Amino acid sequence: MGTFEYQVVAGLLFLIGAAGVLIRRNLIVVFMSIEMMLNAANLSLVAFSRQWGNLDGQVLVFMVIVVAAVEVAVGLAILISLIRNRDSVNVEDATLLKW
Amino acid sequence: MTPPVLDVGAILPMIIVAAGAVLMPLFEVLLARMIQQKRTWLSRPMTRELAGTMMAFGTALILGTALIFTLGGFLRPDRVFNADHPLIRLDAMALFLNAVVLLSAIMTVLISIRYLAELRNNRGEYYALLLASVLGMMLLTSAMDLLMLFLALELMTIPIYALAGYQRSSLRSNESALKYFVIGSFASGLLLYGTALLYGATGTLALDLIGQARFDQENPVALVGAGLLVIGLVFKVGGVPFHQWAPDVYEGAPTSVTGFMATAVKVAAFGALIRVMAVALGPSQDQFYVPLWVIAVLSMTVGNVMALIQRSVKRMLAYSSIAHAGYAMVGICVGTDEAYAAVLFYLLVYTFMSLGAFAVLAMATRERTQSGEIGDLAGLHATRPFFAAVMAICMFALAGIPGTGGFMGKFKLFEATIARWSATPADQGLLWLAVIGVLNSAVSLYYYLRVPVAMYMEDPRAGETEQPGSGFFGWLVLATCAAAIFLLGLMPQDLGLFWNLDPLAGAAAAADALR
Repeated sequence: MGTFEYQVVAGLLFLIGAAGVLIRRNLIVVFMSIEMMLNAANLSLVAFSRQWGNLDGQVLVFMVIVVAAVEVAVGLAILISLIRNRDSVNVEDATLLKW
Repeated sequence: MTPPVLDVGAILPMIIVAAGAVLMPLFEVLLARMIQQKRTWLSRPMTRELAGTMMAFGTALILGTALIFTLGGFLRPDRVFNADHPLIRLDAMALFLNAVVLLSAIMTVLISIRYLAELRNNRGEYYALLLASVLGMMLLTSAMDLLMLFLALELMTIPIYALAGYQRSSLRSNESALKYFVIGSFASGLLLYGTALLYGATGTLALDLIGQARFDQENPVALVGAGLLVIGLVFKVGGVPFHQWAPDVYEGAPTSVTGFMATAVKVAAFGALIRVMAVALGPSQDQFYVPLWVIAVLSMTVGNVMALIQRSVKRMLAYSSIAHAGYAMVGICVGTDEAYAAVLFYLLVYTFMSLGAFAVLAMATRERTQSGEIGDLAGLHATRPFFAAVMAICMFALAGIPGTGGFMGKFKLFEATIARWSATPADQGLLWLAVIGVLNSAVSLYYYLRVPVAMYMEDPRAGETEQPGSGFFGWLVLATCAAAIFLLGLMPQDLGLFWNLDPLAGAAAAADALR
């Protein structure tokens, strides 16, 4: 497989992730979609890294993996404090703040 | 291949802040334990309270030390740090913005002591998270590589997610943190995918090497990548049409955190945006002129129009911060050195006037009316004349009344816009940019003046006569903001007489050294 095929897969994953964040209502699924966006970028970076023959992209991928883990830890902590105050993981129930 | 030289002296402020962020939580536990052993008659909540206050002073001290070293580097412009270091470059612009960020953080810490004590929630992790976020901001303004940019951006925002949800028992705070988290992570995803595409198009992550590539229709991968990168950053500064999160998040977060988010986060994100625009996308700036023009005009107009119809002061200030992001975007859209200098100066002024307003809001409205309705401020003049005076000064400055820093900042921005227009008179868009900006300032006068009108001309609500005090540090922050607004407005050049530090010349030098 050449770089192009990898990029198509990465692009599709990214679009699925972005659509998931925008459309899905369950917060756990939204979190998973965010992870999917980051991992689509990772796949793209690794494929480009092989194409260019340097390691810059792969180094960035390692950093992104760490950041994604940190992000999801904070996100789940926020979710837990929300669930403690109100038993719901549905985005549409978060309606206290609006214009 | 020689390893890059590391000038430890120049990155000393970052080292100090990083050490503080790591050691503070440990220090807090030890401190609480020590107090418990020595003063066994203190109850457990009291112990935490006392430890939290001491942590606050420690944090202010750390930030103050970092600020002094940053200003020290700023006074010696010959010492541009590590021009050939691949990841960060501490030039005059980074030092200028780092100083602004540190100032904002110090003032936030000082108002937080009393504010958090009233919430019965003054704990050490608040300050540790704040320090971590400040470290991210300092790296973000100096990032010269997309790897560093992404890491610094995440280091800046992830602690802010936690800070927005700091009041764990409050549903509003939870919701604010959740919205910020989802939108912020989405923006990070866009930015990262943009980074990947830029890497694919150019084979490098260094901003200056990316700048050698061409961005046009023949190179769609680079164009889309650059677009996603810029969109990710515009999300962070809250420019329209990527602004919807800002009012909700600002309203729900604790007010002291809101002040920090509205100033420091915005300043750092604008620093990254300026560097990306000037270094990486500078040679092909024309490709991005129209989108940036649209974002600037929309941000100014939507921010001001939506602010008109808000009843909550906190939401009004959130929309006003969107409008001010629009004014700063004008400078980025114009894209001359003079315009970048005007943006830097504007960010300095904006930090004082916006943080001053949020500080008054944090101290003057009680936490049970969290949204800070405008009616809560009615008659503030009678109960707390000093709060009312500072709030009025901040409102006048935000509206851009002559004599205040807000006017000087806008004047410099529109002056740079007109200067570029007279250089290329065919480009009517630049003239319209300035005209729309001035018209928007006039519109904004209406809603900013509602606050002084409520404070000075209406009677206090029944039973609202007793207002909490500010404490010495709150007083100090408010006095600093008010003094800085007038000094920056009346004599931005003459400040050098006192301090050997001229904000206008500093901003100009910073923009010069950028490329």
